Amino acid sequence: MNLVEKYLAKAAGKDAVSPGMDLSCRVSYVAAHDVTAPIAIKMFRQIGVKKVFDPDRVALIVDHIYPASSEKARDNVWIMDDFAKEFGVHLYQRGEGVIHQLMYEKHRAQPGELVVIADSHTGTCGGYGAVGVGVGSTELAAAMATGKLDLEVPEVVQIYLTGKRPGNVFGKDVILYLGSRFGTDHLVDRALLFTGPGIEELSVAERMTICNMGIELGSMITLFGTTEREPDTAEDLELDLGALEPQIACPFSPANVVPVSRVAGTAITQVVVGSCTNGRLNDMEQVARAFEGKHVHPDVNTLVVPASKEILEEMEKRGWCKIIRDAGATVLNPGCGSCFGAHEGLASARDVVVSTTNRNFPGRMGSMKANIYLASPATAAASALTGRITVPEA
Amino acid sequence: MDIIKGKVIVLGDDVDTDQILPGYAMAEPYDQLGKFAMAGLAGVDFKTVYEPGCILVAGRNFGCGSSREQAPIALQQAQIALVIAKGFARIFRRNAINIGLPVWAADVVDSLKTGDQIEVDLEQGTVTVNGETKRFQPMAENVIKTLSYGGLIPRVRAELGITE
Repeated sequence: MNLVEKYLAKAAGKDAVSPGMDLSCRVSYVAAHDVTAPIAIKMFRQIGVKKVFDPDRVALIVDHIYPASSEKARDNVWIMDDFAKEFGVHLYQRGEGVIHQLMYEKHRAQPGELVVIADSHTGTCGGYGAVGVGVGSTELAAAMATGKLDLEVPEVVQIYLTGKRPGNVFGKDVILYLGSRFGTDHLVDRALLFTGPGIEELSVAERMTICNMGIELGSMITLFGTTEREPDTAEDLELDLGALEPQIACPFSPANVVPVSRVAGTAITQVVVGSCTNGRLNDMEQVARAFEGKHVHPDVNTLVVPASKEILEEMEKRGWCKIIRDAGATVLNPGCGSCFGAHEGLASARDVVVSTTNRNFPGRMGSMKANIYLASPATAAASALTGRITVPEA
Repeated sequence: MDIIKGKVIVLGDDVDTDQILPGYAMAEPYDQLGKFAMAGLAGVDFKTVYEPGCILVAGRNFGCGSSREQAPIALQQAQIALVIAKGFARIFRRNAINIGLPVWAADVVDSLKTGDQIEVDLEQGTVTVNGETKRFQPMAENVIKTLSYGGLIPRVRAELGITE
């Protein structure tokens, strides 16, 4: 068995499992946010059980539309507030941060534990060794009621990392590159497992970035293992980090990826650094370093969105907020709004955006005609300064 | 399950959840989502080809992107009878079945055009157009069972014997 199979076998209380086997797995943490929780709560009430499986292991987080941009969005928060009071589950509704970052900060699963969140980027926790499976609201309701999740054991595609990465290559570039190799659906119903000596080049935060975007390749689970190669995988790909250069996803697919050098010089009008993909302290550090003593290009609206209040506080302590503001950029409150076109930074048909977020589908950030490029914080910051897509310095 | 008959609307690959239900509609009340079905579709003005009871026929990776259950709910409220695609993103596929919207993986997109009237028998795995019937892998029994209950919640309630 490979590591994914070992973890799933343990969660299901079985000695051995193999691909295709149907399992009922014990869940360690369950969570939902203000877009998915209201329907999950509706479905939970329809099931008709009187309590959640373990209130201490259920968290509801208001991050997608915070502060509320409409009365309807605010009504959804009240649905969560009522439920949290009635069932005694955790609720974060004061802008504490983005769900995948808050689960890391406040309810961190141990390696091998199963985390079920009603959000497609649940794979993020694979960066710290937990098995994250993203679900919709109905499955989340069932998991809240039973503490179990039914799934089938996926085939595993292993990425064996070797080599030393160049100074301008980050976790984001690794997963974008894999998008160009695999496309958007090669990994549907499969798991993506990273192993090899190269994983020691990547911090936990960067591993979380990589796992965050596994879903853009279709994967069900994305996980970091150890430096040892895992047995019993369906596919095995060796990737030399030393051979990578900075990558960028062009409109309108996260898998439409080329080296940044290929599109360098393209004029841009907005930069967004943040989200569950790249809103952590190491990401903010890239921006602060690049912006120190400089000014962003006058044509570029630059938005910096830390993934949690804890990160924002640390940025303030280190003087990074001032550096970023002095450079002419805007530090926004933690949240998901600018990433998915809800509020706080919508793009019009005239905009060309470089964003560190995870999706550049048509209309993702507002206008169907807005061009969105996805890249690392280093590439985004370098581009904000020049007003053009720019390869960051190594 | 009954045979599904309807007008086909042909779509491309990678129709993502932002196209099926755009981010701006995510805070809409549950029963209003149908109005926004396919409002973000790229390349086709959905309103001009849509009719209630129609069948969406797509290429690879239909429903990729977000876990928003609002996406299949919007299609269901807009009375989309069925989605047939070469392949579905995992979360969308499960969401659709969980709410009782039939979605079926079959490679028919290249042999149909928008406006065709088709008949689909999911249990037999057949698609009939202009009197000609083609066979595909039938829908899985477990999926048919969930759909026959109208979704996962009614199925779970029935199996747990909850009646109140």
